[in-house]
Amino acid sequence: MRFSIAVFLLATLKIMGQEQETPLDSVQELKEVQVTATLKKKIETAMKMNVSVDEFLASSDNISFIKRGAYAWEPLLNNMGMERSTITIDGMHIFGACTDKMDPITSYVESNNLAAVDITSGQQGSSNGATIAGSVDLKRKSTPFSMQPNWAGTYQTGFELNNEQFYNQGNMAYSSRNFVAEGSISYRKAENYTDGNDEVVDHSQYQKFNTSVGLAYKTGDLSSVRVDAIFDVAKDVGYPALPMDLWLSRALIASATYKQFFEDGIAKVWDAKVYYNAIEHYMDDTTRPENLVHMDMPGWSTTYGLLSKIHLQKNRLSSEVQLNAYDNLSIAEMRMYPQDRSERTMFAYSWPWVTTQYAGLSVNNSLEVSEQSVVDFGGSLGVNYNHSKYVDFNWIFYPGASQEKTRWLPSLYAGYKHKLDQFDFSIGAGYGHRAPSVSEGYGYYIYNSFDRYDYIGNPDLKNEVSYELNASAGFRSEKFSLGANVNYFYIQDYIIGRILSLGSPMNYQSVGVKGYTSLDYATLFNFSLHSSYAITSDLHWKGTLAYARGMDNDKGNLPFIRPLSYQTSLHFQNGALGIQTTLNGDFEQEHYSPEYGEDLTPAYTILNLSADYSFTLNTYKTVLQVGAENVLNQYYSTYADWGNIPRMGRNFFTSLQINF
Amino acid sequence: MKIFNLVITVICIAAMMSCTLDKTDYEAELGAVVTDEYEFEEALSLSGNGYQISLEALNGTFFKGYNELRFNITDTATDQVVPNANITFLPVRTDADDVAYSCPHRYELAYEAANDHYLGYAVFDHETAADARWEVFLTITIGDEFFSVQQEITVEPQPNMNLNMTAFTGNDGGQYYIALIAPVSPGVAENELIAGIFRYNQPEVAAGDFPDPSQFSFSKVQNATLLLDPRMPEPSMGNHSSPNNQDLIQGEDGLYHGVVNYTMTGNWTLNFMLQSSYGDVIKGTEVPTDFTPGVEGEKSELHIDILF
Ligand SMILES: [Cu+2]
Repeated sequence: MRFSIAVFLLATLKIMGQEQETPLDSVQELKEVQVTATLKKKIETAMKMNVSVDEFLASSDNISFIKRGAYAWEPLLNNMGMERSTITIDGMHIFGACTDKMDPITSYVESNNLAAVDITSGQQGSSNGATIAGSVDLKRKSTPFSMQPNWAGTYQTGFELNNEQFYNQGNMAYSSRNFVAEGSISYRKAENYTDGNDEVVDHSQYQKFNTSVGLAYKTGDLSSVRVDAIFDVAKDVGYPALPMDLWLSRALIASATYKQFFEDGIAKVWDAKVYYNAIEHYMDDTTRPENLVHMDMPGWSTTYGLLSKIHLQKNRLSSEVQLNAYDNLSIAEMRMYPQDRSERTMFAYSWPWVTTQYAGLSVNNSLEVSEQSVVDFGGSLGVNYNHSKYVDFNWIFYPGASQEKTRWLPSLYAGYKHKLDQFDFSIGAGYGHRAPSVSEGYGYYIYNSFDRYDYIGNPDLKNEVSYELNASAGFRSEKFSLGANVNYFYIQDYIIGRILSLGSPMNYQSVGVKGYTSLDYATLFNFSLHSSYAITSDLHWKGTLAYARGMDNDKGNLPFIRPLSYQTSLHFQNGALGIQTTLNGDFEQEHYSPEYGEDLTPAYTILNLSADYSFTLNTYKTVLQVGAENVLNQYYSTYADWGNIPRMGRNFFTSLQINF
Repeated sequence: MKIFNLVITVICIAAMMSCTLDKTDYEAELGAVVTDEYEFEEALSLSGNGYQISLEALNGTFFKGYNELRFNITDTATDQVVPNANITFLPVRTDADDVAYSCPHRYELAYEAANDHYLGYAVFDHETAADARWEVFLTITIGDEFFSVQQEITVEPQPNMNLNMTAFTGNDGGQYYIALIAPVSPGVAENELIAGIFRYNQPEVAAGDFPDPSQFSFSKVQNATLLLDPRMPEPSMGNHSSPNNQDLIQGEDGLYHGVVNYTMTGNWTLNFMLQSSYGDVIKGTEVPTDFTPGVEGEKSELHIDILF
């Protein structure tokens, strides 16, 4: 049903239009000010023109991934999982509906409806909501109004040999003086991939359909309204590392935004948004006849929210004040079928109708102290309320635990940046709280196939409190740049699963029960070094080296911490022809955590190659790209591959992009 | 902007549309096997000496297991409820060989002034069968008036496994009965578990005129402990158990109270060990805690199966 509506929305679009880089009028002249964030522009990597959102994020220094298959990788920011970072789409909060983390927010968008990704490390990212690791904000495409009516479009298609992935993506936009309509549509289908030993990795296929529509209307010289919607369907998605696959996952993400610019005064622009999103997620184990127990595990997540952001500027101080509120209801069910199907099924909630309400006010300031130096400072105060409708489930392990819980979540940060000729330095500190996630607080027998324990949430967990220090130094000349970033987190009451001496496993593959518990503290250290050099005007080199270390209060290793890793790439560009090659890999994962199911992951190195050529096809600007990933057909799995599933072997890809 | 409005409308409609698969109605799920809609209704009406005696049971039916019983006695001439009568109650089962047995019951009923009725109970250990019948015998003393009535009754199978009972011979040779009383309709939750534990009193004197109550005497077992270990017997559940259960100990009402946690709906086995006030095991064996996926769970020799 929703599918047909999406098609209808697109059809309305088709009656309208096309786009191009257009002259701006007053509404666009004021660009949104990025107070703190490092913006990742252009959704393509150095290697590949058409990438999935995951592949794109993977090219960022401080993002790594837990991979459960070929689809929907779980992003780790600063080596911390989804519950410790805030992932939003244009500031909107969306919560996955899967207890097994099959559906990070990044799986509900597609590269052709995104314009950029905003990654902010640590407490500077708290403006969208309480966080420890930082924030990832996925920015949707938004075509500006134009003086003359304009149509623009892009069509992209491609094929990847290894998993027979075939995709088609189209974008269209129409803009005029006071009206913009744009839309995108994308469909990808992939079969099982083969690993470096040329063996097929079963259950690694996927199918994803995504469409988006955006309509903007200028309500005055300095104001506009915009409505956006994304509709995403993933079907028949395999998760080779998990004991279950996905039958269907659907998301509807809708918002309406009002934007007002001001010509005079300290207020520059005000942005207000209301949003709604609904996610449904249905897992499927009928594809796994080897499973002893057949289970249905559906999940639903519905969020309403509002966002109001005002940007102020006076002299050398620019500030952003943001109000953020949302209400989420997360439901996950578990129904087990007995071997004798005439017997009664066994039912429980893995998320017993958990409501999360959050309201927070944040202020980000940037003060230019002098020509060379800037002080960033700010903070937020949020109130987080949880309610568990069927609290009986939580009482089984924690009799008398609170059905309702209100938490205050403060955050503060300050940083100083200094530029000295070709050098720049920065130091900063932060302090912030976060509330436990739905699973950590209220999860009930959520099976983790990595360490093979059933996880139980504790509603009365303390807030996790982060103390953070960060610094950077860099040098830049015409041909050469070198920079280093370092950050350190001391996280008090760090939430992690510990074996419970209570109860017994519910899932037949499970070996015991773990409860989310607060460690006294844990520490996390991230370091990265990046450099670039222009060997000639045509040939550029880039390199990154990253290291991280995470420890608990007994000096034990935290799980999913990336070992020493590197990436080096060469890019040659001559006129219409571009050639690039990258070499990346991890060293041996010395600091693994057997307690959380990790084992020593050996080192690996992957070589990738690609070439692209731009030309005009019938007056349309066209780019053709061919390339190969994992050229040497290495058999490998990374430290964060769930259950050590092997990654894809050699993969040839080709893609064609036509702009009109 | 017609299209603009239209699109907003469409988005709103789409947003309000229901999901692909419906969410489970949890209350209906719990009520799928057992209902907690029980009411006391008249199960039996007797008359004698100008009095009308009405016996109320849940749903107006006698079931195998624990039955709470309420008696009313009215003077037919005045249509007045008679308080403070002395009533005795004796259920007797006669089997194919014409041997008479009884079952745990309250012999001398208690008058409850607040509700104008007399309270008793019976733990029927068998259903009425083609070759075995149940009869109730009542004696009533009102002032110096005395009369007795008797009537055959039908004991139906227990439809609610949460009210199951078991009868067994203890290691001490005694005849014991354990009957579940609560929860009538359990949830996936901490449930207060109430059971009655009874023992047959061997007669010390020879039988008198039938029915001689001294031959059919039962008492509540005193100060024992009923050790509890709930499991899911379903093979695929691999001997799954639950945390935070509490063994049953005797409360002021003479019944045994404990806590059972059910972690999900379905079939459960309450494994028991009955321990006397001296700590001897009267009946029951420990069940292994091994996780055995694919194998039907082992049960204690003393257990009651439930389902919700
Ligand atoms: Cu899932």
